[in-house]
Amino acid sequence: MSTITISNLRKLYGGVPAVDGFSLEIPEATVFGLLGPNGAGKTTTFKCMLDLARPSSGSILYDGKPLAPETFERIAYVPERSVLYEWMTVDEHVEMTRRAFTSFDPARAYELLAQFNVDPHKRARALSKGMKTAVMVALAFARNVNIMILDEPTGGLDPVNQRHVLSLMINEAAKGNTVIFSSHQIGQVERAAERIAVMDRGRLILEGLVDDLKADRKIVEGIFPDVSFTLDGIANDARVARTDRTERIVRLLVTAGADEIAAHLSAAGAVGVRVLDLNLEDIFLYAVSPATATADVVAKESST
Amino acid sequence: MNYVEWLRVRNLLRVVLIILGILLVLAVVLRVSVARYMSPDVWVHQALMNHPGVKVTNVTLPDGTPRTIIDDPAESTRAVIDDHGYKGKRIVITEPSSRAHEENSQVNVGSIQVFETRNGKMTTTVIDTNGAVPMIYYMLLADIVAVIVATILAAPLAREIDGHLEVTLTKPISRVRYALEVIGTDAVGIVAASFLTVVVFYICQLLFESARLDFSGVNARAIVMGLACPMAWYAMLCAATTWLHRSYVAVLGFAWPIVLFIGVLTLIPTHNVVALFVHDVAWVLSRLNPLTYVSFAEPNEHGLLTYTSAGFAQRLSMQILFFVAYGALAIWKWQRVEA
Repeated sequence: MSTITISNLRKLYGGVPAVDGFSLEIPEATVFGLLGPNGAGKTTTFKCMLDLARPSSGSILYDGKPLAPETFERIAYVPERSVLYEWMTVDEHVEMTRRAFTSFDPARAYELLAQFNVDPHKRARALSKGMKTAVMVALAFARNVNIMILDEPTGGLDPVNQRHVLSLMINEAAKGNTVIFSSHQIGQVERAAERIAVMDRGRLILEGLVDDLKADRKIVEGIFPDVSFTLDGIANDARVARTDRTERIVRLLVTAGADEIAAHLSAAGAVGVRVLDLNLEDIFLYAVSPATATADVVAKESST
Repeated sequence: MNYVEWLRVRNLLRVVLIILGILLVLAVVLRVSVARYMSPDVWVHQALMNHPGVKVTNVTLPDGTPRTIIDDPAESTRAVIDDHGYKGKRIVITEPSSRAHEENSQVNVGSIQVFETRNGKMTTTVIDTNGAVPMIYYMLLADIVAVIVATILAAPLAREIDGHLEVTLTKPISRVRYALEVIGTDAVGIVAASFLTVVVFYICQLLFESARLDFSGVNARAIVMGLACPMAWYAMLCAATTWLHRSYVAVLGFAWPIVLFIGVLTLIPTHNVVALFVHDVAWVLSRLNPLTYVSFAEPNEHGLLTYTSAGFAQRLSMQILFFVAYGALAIWKWQRVEA
């Protein structure tokens, strides 16, 4: 059973869709990365998932049931910006969380705060941006929940603490819990996430296991003797997701059968054909900005 | 009880305590420096002793109470002062009616009770400096503090909307329950502020005399009204700040000036159509303000503070109605806010 099912989610702000027909199934016991450029609708999706924003249409189910107040006993949320009470101490935030959630473990919270080098006696206003993020992360990971929704959970953290947060996320998934997070740092997503979804302009444009996406997607590049070449229907192949022609060069983004497509290109007269691997950043860039991405990928591969 | 709101209330109560503490210190200073000049028997001494032929006799009553008798034959006046020490003094003055009030009267000022009885050409005035203190005085003071505290606290939901919804709305309780907990916490804070004020002023009085409080009749009603009024005022501001959450600080800051301004507009003479229109609009608006319906008591023809049951019930009902209605408005809006 999937832990979370989002069906045809739509959220309008003043008639403008922030999330537009977004559907997704997030299985349990996984680290799920939600990617997208700024304004893609990631945070709005999270807010709709938590009933912080009311969907204009669509549904969100947790183990087949809609969100109820009791569901929050097993969901922890870390928003992208600090929501700490500036006038309260970290200690008081721990106490606040302890009173609100039965499964909260204060000892674990203090352990994590110590690992992040946060002084629990300080008021939130005296903490740096990174420290505030660390406090929110520590409180969330001490909740002992099944589902963690983390919106930019490493924002402002130093590289050591960023790595620490990623480790915590992976540990949660290893314990059978579901971690959903967004990040603009794709290296982190590639390191931690088992599955990803890419959003753009409120829509889901790509989703799957990271390893599958990387294994399936390739760039097949062909160089022809002159500019007046034809692809003999290769561009219409269902496995070719995108075709970019630049003078004598054609670059095809293929979702499967890269070697076969490469052979077709050779047969079509290409004098030089090569197959390029894509990393997650390439896949993301291609998904949200295809033309730029393929050129960037080729440039990067050429330089190496 | 909501923890975050309780912390807000606790911090505010600390400030209230500090201010009341300063007042207490001032009372101590007053007690040490000028209290003896304010004693009623000193006034009597000063009023009579300057007259020629005044005779002063000091005796001790069987129960050990020192008694001072001042006779002024020229003025046909006699004063008997029984000094009960910390428990106060009882002063009986007998004087010609021509120098006293024309009618029998009773006046209460704090713990000082004055009874004047006319008996033919002579009038007897009894001054009891240790009378029961009507709670109505305490509640007037406590109400001022409570309404100020209510004004400061009256944006609990707006403060959450202002950057903390991700914390507030992801707790395993419904929005309605959350709002009720927050409002309940603030209500406890307002009552606590009232109580602290009464206690501190009571201590202030104890510095001067053995105070006895009067909770009977109109005083009991004053306590109820003194608690209901700040609650209704709080609920009104709570609704306003929740609906206008982006400018809740301005709502709290301008609440008093606006209410006072509307109050003044209801008093303008209605000489012309414009004035009449302004007056009527202000009058209608003032009906929405719980403070309009506040009345602790009214003096009767004898100067006694009274409150008819019907009038009290009506005014109290309005306060309760405002509290419920404005509270419901705030919660209704709270249920619809989005992060």
